[in-house]
Amino acid sequence: MSAIVRRFRFTEFQLLVAPSLMTVVGLLTIFLARTGSSRWTWSDIWVSLGYVALIFLMTIFLSATGFKGDQVLFPIVATIAGLGLLEIERLNPVLKAENPNLAHVARNQVAYIAVGLFLLLLMMVFVKRLDWLRRYKYSLGFLGLAMMAATVVFGTDINGARLWIDLKVATVQPSELVKVILVVFLAAYLDDYGDLVAGSYRFLRWNLPPIPYLLPMFLMWAAALGVVVLQNDLGTALLFFGIFLVMIYVATARLWYVVVGLSAFAIGVYVAYQMFDRIAVRVQNWINPWADPLDKGFQQIQAEYTMAAGHIFGTGLGYGHPQYIPAVETDYIFAALAEELGLLGTIAILALYVLLVARGSLIALRADRGFPQLLAVGLTTILALQTLIILAGVLRLIPLTGITLPFISAGGSSLLTNFIIVGLLLRISDGSVKT
Amino acid sequence: MSGFFRASAFFAATILLTFGMIVTKGHSSRTWFFLWLAMLFVASVLITVAVWPRLPRTIPATQRTIAHGATLFMVGFLVLGVQLARVQVADSAIISERTHSDAGNVDVQDPRHRLMASEVQRGSIFTSDGKVVAQTDKNPDGSFIRSYPDPATAYLAGYYSPLLYGSSNLEAAYDSELMGESGGNPITQWLDGILHRDRRGYDLTLSVNQDVQDQANQLLGNQRGAAIVMNAKTGAIVAMASTPNFDPNKLYVNEGPQINAETDTAKAYWEQLTSQQDSPLLLRPTQGLYIPGSIFKTVTASAALQSGVAQPDTVYRDEGALTVGSRVIPEENRPDNNRIDYTLTDAYGWSLNVVFAQIGLQIGPQRMQEFAQKFGFGSDIPFELPVAISELDADPSFLSDQASLAVTAFGQGQIQATPLQMALIADAVANGGTMMEPYLVQKISDEKGTTLSTNSPSSWQRAIDEKTASQMQQIMINSVQNGYASGAQIPGYVVGGKTGTAEVGGDKQPNSWFIGFAGKTDPEYVVAVVVENGGEGTKVALPIAHQLLQTALQLDETK
Repeated sequence: MSAIVRRFRFTEFQLLVAPSLMTVVGLLTIFLARTGSSRWTWSDIWVSLGYVALIFLMTIFLSATGFKGDQVLFPIVATIAGLGLLEIERLNPVLKAENPNLAHVARNQVAYIAVGLFLLLLMMVFVKRLDWLRRYKYSLGFLGLAMMAATVVFGTDINGARLWIDLKVATVQPSELVKVILVVFLAAYLDDYGDLVAGSYRFLRWNLPPIPYLLPMFLMWAAALGVVVLQNDLGTALLFFGIFLVMIYVATARLWYVVVGLSAFAIGVYVAYQMFDRIAVRVQNWINPWADPLDKGFQQIQAEYTMAAGHIFGTGLGYGHPQYIPAVETDYIFAALAEELGLLGTIAILALYVLLVARGSLIALRADRGFPQLLAVGLTTILALQTLIILAGVLRLIPLTGITLPFISAGGSSLLTNFIIVGLLLRISDGSVKT
Repeated sequence: MSGFFRASAFFAATILLTFGMIVTKGHSSRTWFFLWLAMLFVASVLITVAVWPRLPRTIPATQRTIAHGATLFMVGFLVLGVQLARVQVADSAIISERTHSDAGNVDVQDPRHRLMASEVQRGSIFTSDGKVVAQTDKNPDGSFIRSYPDPATAYLAGYYSPLLYGSSNLEAAYDSELMGESGGNPITQWLDGILHRDRRGYDLTLSVNQDVQDQANQLLGNQRGAAIVMNAKTGAIVAMASTPNFDPNKLYVNEGPQINAETDTAKAYWEQLTSQQDSPLLLRPTQGLYIPGSIFKTVTASAALQSGVAQPDTVYRDEGALTVGSRVIPEENRPDNNRIDYTLTDAYGWSLNVVFAQIGLQIGPQRMQEFAQKFGFGSDIPFELPVAISELDADPSFLSDQASLAVTAFGQGQIQATPLQMALIADAVANGGTMMEPYLVQKISDEKGTTLSTNSPSSWQRAIDEKTASQMQQIMINSVQNGYASGAQIPGYVVGGKTGTAEVGGDKQPNSWFIGFAGKTDPEYVVAVVVENGGEGTKVALPIAHQLLQTALQLDETK
């Protein structure tokens, strides 16, 4: 008995109370705002009740297995994912009106979360020894390349970008999983060759970075630009390259590698901007969406109206007008949240992501040196960069790039991948498992 | 030292961001956009310097780099927060007002404005005697219809066409009050907002009297012109008429089943209004700019008296013509062609151009400018509706020419004045030298009739001192008793006034003007009337002003 009490993840359990209340009360608010009445039954909010059940089952299961890892990470993720669920549920009628195919987007989101939590558990059960991931780094690397190549060859274009493969049952976005594979591969590679990468050699009169650095650097640069050119997607390229640079920096502590890499990327993107229309349109919309307010700039302008309408306190859940932003459920879902929750709400959401990144970094700091540490850094970087890039795009600090807001944007591939990332981070946080 | 350095970096970043938000506020052009981004970048570098973790060498390198990476991410999130504060709060009002128009039609605007128009019942507008100017009713299907039952006041309310042409006049000036967004108790408004209570806009009660306004419209009839009756002591507008005008009922378009029919009517009517030569959409009392003619002699005479150049009984010679430089000013107004000597008072009453040309030359260009400014020329008259700025001269060197100065003194030359400006000149004389701030809206109240705010009269600016004002009053009263303005007499009341027949050039009929005041013992109301190409002031504008004053004075009798 005392063993069970000792093992019980009390902090995690406690921290899950707030997100549970939030999802239940939030959904109730949305439901009542929509119907305009004060009558409701428990079945109206089954989505949230189901979600609450899932996250508590999760924590109880973790306690039961005697898992000793981080207790704060999961509640943070549960809060963000709960918020995402609420917003998808809130947008459901809007999306239904826009596109009948999206009628079940909210129900799907719960299903994805359930599958995501299952994957999270799988990560914890099967990746018992992280070494396993490390051993198969080249196989994984090839798998990742193959997935990207398959996307280019068999992919479907959505919104002009070729990021999806239509499997008839569902449309999957391989790049989501590829970024995790990239992190695993880089962590293993840098752990093996880190010392070599940090060194340098003299060529004629100059100290040059070593080949083990230069080669992957060049390959990554080429691959990232390949994504820009072949898949027409600036966001994914930026994300991949950003992950690469952060990991190089962490592994070698050479800031100037980052500077050189970033400059090379910027030059590449500039050339692409000159050559490809879609990138040019994004840049034009960034500088001045009012140049073409009826067509290309329309979405950005509507998103700005929407965010501005939120003011400090917001209109309240269910009382905003997200329907004016085309395709609001993807890139601009944050704008819809901004209108209904106001500045107080958006700052709170930012704070949640800050906590997530801080917790991820803490797990990385506490992890064993070498592969686990680099892996934790890479996984945290995925979440941090992805959030920063999409939000900076929505807020017009950089050109908008079509990547998802972790745990909030609708979309199965991204949600599942993010739960895999959390699963791996939790795994790493359990110091008792030695590599 | 390091602590101080970090603190100052942080402080500098805060200052830079605050400064940046203020200077770039509302600017959306490329340059300002990049300026703000540059400021944000510099600030983020400063903040990074301020919070950069300095970790001892004893800590493993990877741990240090992880801490550095996390710090950079945190700064990134901070920058997002700053931008959010800018978009959602600092610039929020400006962003929601941004629109794009194509050939006069707004094709991109915040759709929330349209939505508001179909969700909030807009407040009503009443005259001071409780007649409806504008009202919003609910159709059986829940949509709203705004109507203006009385054509005499409808155009003063302005049009309200949120889906097509925006709004004008009072509908534009008091939009946020009529929508219940401002003017009430801010805490109640905030509570209404967060509790999602049904909102209704606030009602406006005007100072305009239905009877006087009706009469002003009737008297102007088919002529083009403007008439203003204003309370001399408070600045309350009792009537403000403009002809030709328009029917705002036909421009109303809002969400609802009849939107297509409304849109068609509105577009056709708008097309007709904007193509018409005589600008029915122009609110002439505030927007019409006219050459004032002889009524401007009120300013010249005031300037002469105030600056001590002349007294009311100073005698001038009028021999039937005056040569100034190369220009001959003929005199057509003498009551008796054999009489040569006239006092200032006589000259005003008989409207003698030759005498006023001499007074103008005596005053000189500087003082002419100075007094015109004191009477409000060149300034934006404080009023709820936009007022065109009246000007004494178009080019600054105009008055340095003697002949130009002479003709300006009797109201020709390059003077351009709004009827409201001329009414305020009469007000300065009637009100002891001070012009009141004119106003149309007496009070704002909520649907239960609770008064939220009332307009309290305030004076605008002093034109002349009290002594000069009382001398001018006598001169204007004399003009009605013994001069050309004798048609304006009202038995039992003190009436002062001045007619004007302003030459507009070419073979067009002159503009017909009258300004004046009337009261039991003291001036109570001032009036200004202009009829475009109406002919002589005495024959056209004076009778209109005379009747309006009579009606206005009777209001107080029947009270």
